[in-house]
Amino acid sequence: MSFLRLFTRARRERELDEEIQAHLAMAARDRVERGADPRAAELAARREFGNRTLVQETTRDMWGGNALRELWQDARYALRGMRRSPGFTAVAVASLALGIGANNAIFSLVETVMLRMLPVSHPEQLVELLQKYPGEPRGLMPWSWRSYEHIRTHNHVFSGLFGTSIDNRARLEIEGAEPLTGIRESVTGNYFPELGVKPALGRLIGPRDNPQRPEGSVAVVSWSLWNRLFHGDPGVLGKRIRVVDLPATIVGVAPRSFVGLRVEAETDVWLPQAPQQNGLTLLARLKPAATLQQARAEMPVLYRFTIEERAAGSQDPQMRRLSVQVEPAGNGLATVRDRYGKPLSVLMAVVGLLLLLTCVNIASMLLARGAGREREMALRTSLGASRGRLLRQALTESLMLSAAGAALGAAVAWFGTGALLRIIASGREHERVYLRVQPDFHMLLFAAGIALLAGLLFGAAPAWMAFRTAPASALRQAGGAGETRVRRLFGKGLVAAQVALSLLLLSSAGLFLANLASLEKADLGFRRDHILLAPLDPASSGYSGARRARAYEDLLARLERIPGVRSATMGGPTPIQGAGASGFANVEGFQESEADRRWISICYVAPQYLETLGTPLLAGRGFTFEDRASRVAIVNRTFARYYFAGRNPIGKRVTLYHVTLVPEPRTYVIVGVAGDANYAEIREPARRGIYLPAFHDGTVSGQILIIRTNIDPQAVAGDVRRAVRDAAPGISVARTTTLAEQIDASIVPERLIALLSGFFGALGAALAGIGLYGLLAYTVARRINEIGIRLALGATAGDVTRMVLRDALATVLGGLILGAPMAIWGRALAVTLIQDLPVPTAVPFALAGAGIVAITFVASYVPARRAARVDPIEALRHE
Amino acid sequence: MARPPGYKNRIELLQGTLDMLILQTLLWGAQHGYGIGQAIRSRSGDVLQVETGSLYPALHRLEKQGWIHSEWRPSEHNQRAKYYRLTAAGKRQLAAEHSRWNQVSAAVASLMAPPESEGPA
Repeated sequence: MSFLRLFTRARRERELDEEIQAHLAMAARDRVERGADPRAAELAARREFGNRTLVQETTRDMWGGNALRELWQDARYALRGMRRSPGFTAVAVASLALGIGANNAIFSLVETVMLRMLPVSHPEQLVELLQKYPGEPRGLMPWSWRSYEHIRTHNHVFSGLFGTSIDNRARLEIEGAEPLTGIRESVTGNYFPELGVKPALGRLIGPRDNPQRPEGSVAVVSWSLWNRLFHGDPGVLGKRIRVVDLPATIVGVAPRSFVGLRVEAETDVWLPQAPQQNGLTLLARLKPAATLQQARAEMPVLYRFTIEERAAGSQDPQMRRLSVQVEPAGNGLATVRDRYGKPLSVLMAVVGLLLLLTCVNIASMLLARGAGREREMALRTSLGASRGRLLRQALTESLMLSAAGAALGAAVAWFGTGALLRIIASGREHERVYLRVQPDFHMLLFAAGIALLAGLLFGAAPAWMAFRTAPASALRQAGGAGETRVRRLFGKGLVAAQVALSLLLLSSAGLFLANLASLEKADLGFRRDHILLAPLDPASSGYSGARRARAYEDLLARLERIPGVRSATMGGPTPIQGAGASGFANVEGFQESEADRRWISICYVAPQYLETLGTPLLAGRGFTFEDRASRVAIVNRTFARYYFAGRNPIGKRVTLYHVTLVPEPRTYVIVGVAGDANYAEIREPARRGIYLPAFHDGTVSGQILIIRTNIDPQAVAGDVRRAVRDAAPGISVARTTTLAEQIDASIVPERLIALLSGFFGALGAALAGIGLYGLLAYTVARRINEIGIRLALGATAGDVTRMVLRDALATVLGGLILGAPMAIWGRALAVTLIQDLPVPTAVPFALAGAGIVAITFVASYVPARRAARVDPIEALRHE
Repeated sequence: MARPPGYKNRIELLQGTLDMLILQTLLWGAQHGYGIGQAIRSRSGDVLQVETGSLYPALHRLEKQGWIHSEWRPSEHNQRAKYYRLTAAGKRQLAAEHSRWNQVSAAVASLMAPPESEGPA
């Protein structure tokens, strides 16, 4: 409404007022002239005139342009109401801010990970081809160039097939800048044309770009790299860059929006893939007429070629059981969706429930407050407010609450998203996820949508109550006991619904927390506390293998002398590092069918390794430095059971072949048997494993120092670095970490769910408590007369307290009964979404129920006490 | 809302009828709201009572339509009052409504006229 119109409006209001005033004056004067007493005449004139407000209201309706004015009025009125009850407003806005903020924060991740389309042409046509190794949840094996060519020439469903090979730790060197580690993609020539990406500067890689030119390859850099290292200088074209020690010439800059095919990482530089080079990730564009189903039907046929190719080059019988998966890739490659898709869905459901609970909570509080305002509503109806107007008024109040909540929620979402991203980015290095969450139209729409929905949801009940207010009856009650049965039941129903929802939230939180606790307490076959891990990096030291071996032996001796260190050893891979060496084993005197052959995990360990980690030595002996000259091995319990079945393995021979990075088979004598320990993942079936000496053949394998301490492990990190500097100058220590941290990093999604659902569960229970408190306080206030009479008739304070508690418990019990099937259903749903949840027990339910009952007592305390302290005389006078 | 007894016995005017009566009243000269109400009442021999809740909205509506025009001037007792007068458009409107009224009332009268064979009940 413009200023001018507001101004004329004010003048018209004044004139209307004056017009009516004149009317009254003339009517009174007429009466006086007919001989009436002036005072009586004035009163009679007013009586005859009727409801002045109503006349003004209906007259104003004739002016038009009311909608905005009324909205403004409603808004101002709502603001006044909010200021009048600051406690209620604060609780409502704060819980809404948390509810809406949490929803926005989780949704922004869901959007980024699962919904946002790649900024390429027709992303919905893109699919990813994955090779699945039996037993793996998802295929991550790279493709060979020959398979790529085979599928590209023989398929009928793809309009294009292209590949990329990603190096997450590529060394990039640019003249005049510090070398850095970045992400490199080597792409087939049709990668950019098929994606339909246009360069921001220069050109992109095309089919004719051969990386094996004498003058070096061409390279395309990302927008971000161009701005970080070249300050957006267009002269970047033609500049030289070294990628993993190979020279290349920059020919173009990728557009700002395109950062590769993954949502969890941003590519820095693209190079052409050399023909015949293996290690490809394959993507395809479906023909417009082809469907995903058709592609899924055709690929297994073409995949036989790859199986033959792989089986021919591998000793692994499992290769024949490889399968191919075709997955939509319009949102980017599947890895991050696999890892975070389900946890995020669970969290989305949790925060959705939390918001629902918040809405029910506010509805119940508004209702109790609305009951207090019943007389006000009735008065306004009598004074001429239409019911539609009251309805609008009530909805305006609710929507303003939700708008305030949403505004504050935006801040919550901003901090929340940041915190979530930090948690997600805390994973193990090889599966670390850096999401770039950008506010976009969907998120904005979602934020506005849930705020509006929430406002309507919790505003509906009070609005309905306002709508059906019967003015006469409401005015007649003096504030006493005449509250309607419907309203009372409805209020209780809302509180019961809150109890039910918080039971659902709490019991699922209990489930996820139990899961996390079981992972954190699980016996992994080693002790995870008080271990410092310090990876050594000899890359730029120039040490020979022999010199390294000598330096490390000296280093281990020095480490043991550091105060606080109990024992020191080294090896690799370390437990739950998530990667490692493997090979196949032939055991003397053991016949094994092809199909039963499995990979053996191999771990290179220095002397004292088992003692340091706390893995028991079941038989034989551990390694010593003397073992460097001989080929000896320690096997784990599963290995011993499988190959020796109760016979003594000590002294037997085992030949390992097809071992990672070891070309020829080697035979070892078994000198010990160790307990089983989990190596790759915190949750894995016991695998056949073997320990080999880290010090062997005049060199050393396994470069991670493993140090057990008596004190906080990080406290010795400085001494460890100094010892490395003294014993092996030139060898650097990468970031130190503790074993406990490394294990924690492997269960980030589980921890994310457990922490957040725990937090939201507690929040939900607190809200339900507030809702119950509101209901009880209101009920007690309404029944103060009745309580007074009871006390006057001889009821004791205890009777009254019990009455209030009985009321509270009945409502809560109703909610628990309502919530139990929901909680059971929620668990069933959680089990389908989260792998390996612990064996279902009733414990989370029982704990959640007990928690809610405890909250019931807390919430009832104040109202019950107030009821018990009612002074009968006061109460009866209250009428 | 509770209503005084006997309320139903008063004649409630249809909206169009009230508009016509107002326009007709203003045909005799400019008048303020109170005066219009009083005029309708006295000319109808106290049968038609115009509720203020209908009168003022009607006046403001008619003014918005451009059929009447208002101005502030002192009343006969030297009090500032808002006087309404008929515009040219208002006169045309009155003529139109009057002829429509004649049609309607003739039709209603013929419907309500007792049949020849029967006497008044």
